[in-house]
Amino acid sequence: MSLAILSKPAFRDFVARLLADYRVAGPVAHNGSFIFDEIRDPSELHMDYPTTLLPPKKFLLPIREVLFRFKRQDGGVLQAPPETPPTVLLGVHTCDLHAIQLLDTVFSSGHYDIHYVNRRKKTLIVSIECLGPCDEHSFCKSMGTLTADEGYDLHLTDLGDQYAVDVGTQAGKELLEKYASAKPADKEDVQRLNAVISAKWPRFSYRLDFDVSELPSVLELGMKSPLWEELGQRCLACAACTNVCPTCFCFDVKDEVELNLVDGQRVRQWDSCQLDEFATVAGGHNFRASRALRQRHRFMRKGKYILDAHKHLGCVGCGRCARACIVDITPVGVFNELYRQQQAGS
Amino acid sequence: MSANGKPKIAFFDFTSCEGCQLTVIDSLQDHPELLNAVEIVQFREAMSEKGEDYQIAFIEGSCTRQSDEARLKAIREQADIVVALGACAHLAGVNALKSLHPLEEVRKYVYGDKWDWYETYDARPIEAVIPVDFAIPGCPIDRNEFIAVVKALLLGKKPPIPDYPVCVECRLKENICMYTKGKVCLGPVTRAGCGAICPTYGSSCEACRGFISNPNQDSIKDVLAEAGLSVEEIINIYTMFTTYQVREKLLQKG
Amino acid sequence: MVAIASYPQTQLYPDIAKDIYLPFLAEIVEIRPMTALEKVFTIELPKGMSLGHRPGQFMEVSVFGVGEAPISISSSPSRSNGTFELCVRKVGDVTTALHSLKPGDKVGLRGPFGRGFPYENFRGKDLLFVPGGLGLAPLRSLINQVLDERAHYGRVIILYGARNPGELLFKEELKAWGERDDVELYVTVDRADETWTGNVGVVTTLFKYISIYPRNTVGITCGPPVMYRFVLMEFFAKGISEGNIYLSLERRMKCGVGKCGHCQINNVYACQSGPVFSYREIKGLEEAL
Repeated sequence: MSLAILSKPAFRDFVARLLADYRVAGPVAHNGSFIFDEIRDPSELHMDYPTTLLPPKKFLLPIREVLFRFKRQDGGVLQAPPETPPTVLLGVHTCDLHAIQLLDTVFSSGHYDIHYVNRRKKTLIVSIECLGPCDEHSFCKSMGTLTADEGYDLHLTDLGDQYAVDVGTQAGKELLEKYASAKPADKEDVQRLNAVISAKWPRFSYRLDFDVSELPSVLELGMKSPLWEELGQRCLACAACTNVCPTCFCFDVKDEVELNLVDGQRVRQWDSCQLDEFATVAGGHNFRASRALRQRHRFMRKGKYILDAHKHLGCVGCGRCARACIVDITPVGVFNELYRQQQAGS
Repeated sequence: MSANGKPKIAFFDFTSCEGCQLTVIDSLQDHPELLNAVEIVQFREAMSEKGEDYQIAFIEGSCTRQSDEARLKAIREQADIVVALGACAHLAGVNALKSLHPLEEVRKYVYGDKWDWYETYDARPIEAVIPVDFAIPGCPIDRNEFIAVVKALLLGKKPPIPDYPVCVECRLKENICMYTKGKVCLGPVTRAGCGAICPTYGSSCEACRGFISNPNQDSIKDVLAEAGLSVEEIINIYTMFTTYQVREKLLQKG
Repeated sequence: MVAIASYPQTQLYPDIAKDIYLPFLAEIVEIRPMTALEKVFTIELPKGMSLGHRPGQFMEVSVFGVGEAPISISSSPSRSNGTFELCVRKVGDVTTALHSLKPGDKVGLRGPFGRGFPYENFRGKDLLFVPGGLGLAPLRSLINQVLDERAHYGRVIILYGARNPGELLFKEELKAWGERDDVELYVTVDRADETWTGNVGVVTTLFKYISIYPRNTVGITCGPPVMYRFVLMEFFAKGISEGNIYLSLERRMKCGVGKCGHCQINNVYACQSGPVFSYREIKGLEEAL
């Protein structure tokens, strides 16, 4: 929409003012790494973080959330869950921004998920342009997520002593006007922004051996690849890959009761297709019993099923699953190996 | 049931440190309302009264003596539901380590020249002696899980003991993986439910809760070997709490 | 990728239209014990409303504090007069809790979910039903619908198998179906007892008793996972075409609305595109059978 300039001290003031009216979350240091967490002071933010352990998804689809409360008497008296406060998510990388766009589509299409959608509506996103790869595991450039044209309310680019602020939505514009003392970007600012952006691209490398547009067909052709069996032998089914994934949205639902055995709540929590019980029915039959088929299912979802259903890829190249896997199962490795097998076979 | 309609529960201990019963007492301090839901009729660790008309028995400790068996059988006879409380009762746990050595040697090491005064045999989980309905794993048990199990039993539900690995809880807590820190950890094959308490406080998981029902044994052994552990070290780390189960499996295989 | 046909869609019960996870309450008005493991629950909807379901659809049934489970609707729309029926096998926590309820108790409900049978398309055709065990529960909904508009259909053939005579469901209805001239019913048990005088063997052993005109026959089956391949072989051997074979598949349908992922068969959510599929729709889905 428009470009503004916010000096770094002005950005700190902006965050400090937001804290008065919003729950503010952003990247903070944690045990030598980084996580998205609620902050109480702008000084906690590490806007130049490489990546976080869990994606910012947890503020939109919480690890655990109450769907409703109930009383067990008379068969059930149902009460609405607690409301989420208005939230500003700061410092979201563009890979995670793409992931949030997918989640938005999933939860607002078909049967409307009012819990996600209400939370999303109350959340403003201030994303930030990545100027260098997080580490050797990120492959955002291959996945086309190294930048984003939409999905943010405000988008920051670090120009050194100041941020260029791209205004993405009306809500973002109002947020900036109300809480920040930004100045409109002049010609020189735009030139600095151009220089920073054009300098960033060469720092990232393509890591897929083929164009991402071929990924769905690479996976479809790879359905019967012996690779899956090999992954199944290594996979520990620990679900680290799906738990750290910004696009995974599968969940489980369970009831909890207080010790008075009257008051209780129905809780939704993240689940993983990698776990044995995921596709197991009450009678005990597991419809996806082998680790090999579960890994295949995961990758098919990432590169094909989700794209077919929701028009967004289920993988954004953030590399979190690759970092988390103890036995080195990585999307880049898997996609490239399937491609290699197909090249060798054809 | 007691006259007030509350189920009567009792606690028993066999060979153990009694740390799980201490955890029960601890959870009662957080959840005194538990006493509104059940009536405790026997709990040597916490009270002197003794009732024998219990419906639910929580048993801590392994069976390590022939003479323990009769007492276990009497508990089974009385209780509608028997719950193994903690690793010693559930797995035989560290008590089973003694079976790696000749029994006489162990007895002499522990009891010196009075070794033959004290009766003992290979430690076993209580399910090796009596049928057990449910187990609350852990060394010690997790206080929240204890409360969750009691609630499930009162509702007639299967207790919610997870059958997925500790890694699930550990990742969701945003801990740094022990392997990333250059340490080894049994989290990927160990049953969750503890909230990944050891890795959260910087220690590797030692599988005190036993293994998940379908662990990838071959892969975790490769992982441990790649981390530089010798075969003996792998066996040691792998059997700290599961010596009884690993031995039973080997005996079955012959 | 497989194209899933769209059938006339049913509406979700209005109470849950706003929040798809929030059940509405309904009263159990009758409970009929059926076997050692199964009971049939008659549930009355509030305000005399009708469920508006299609045969083959399912409900998510809640016992608050215990949880929620997917259960197929066992009664036909033609007989839903403000009530519907669920045939429930006691197999997990929720179904065990359901079995302990009494008439007058309330349950939570969401649904009806999924795509039922496209029975309007079956009109004029001969119908060959092959339920195995609890698979009769969803098929009974369709069978009774067909019987209530009998003139629209050709032959109605039912091949029903249970593990033993004690596990046969809806025995009174089986008897009534057997007595009708316009229903051909064959029943078998895997293991007989002293009371049993009928056929012994798995359900596929009944195919030898029937002859059909394959071009005009729709084969419909539902049963335990192991059964489908064998029944399909019999359907094919009788010459029924892939597009005329319908299967209702069991999966762990948790949310019912195509989000939670548990019921996914390759790229297809059974809770949305199923649980009823034509064989033509699922034959390309490796994880289906």
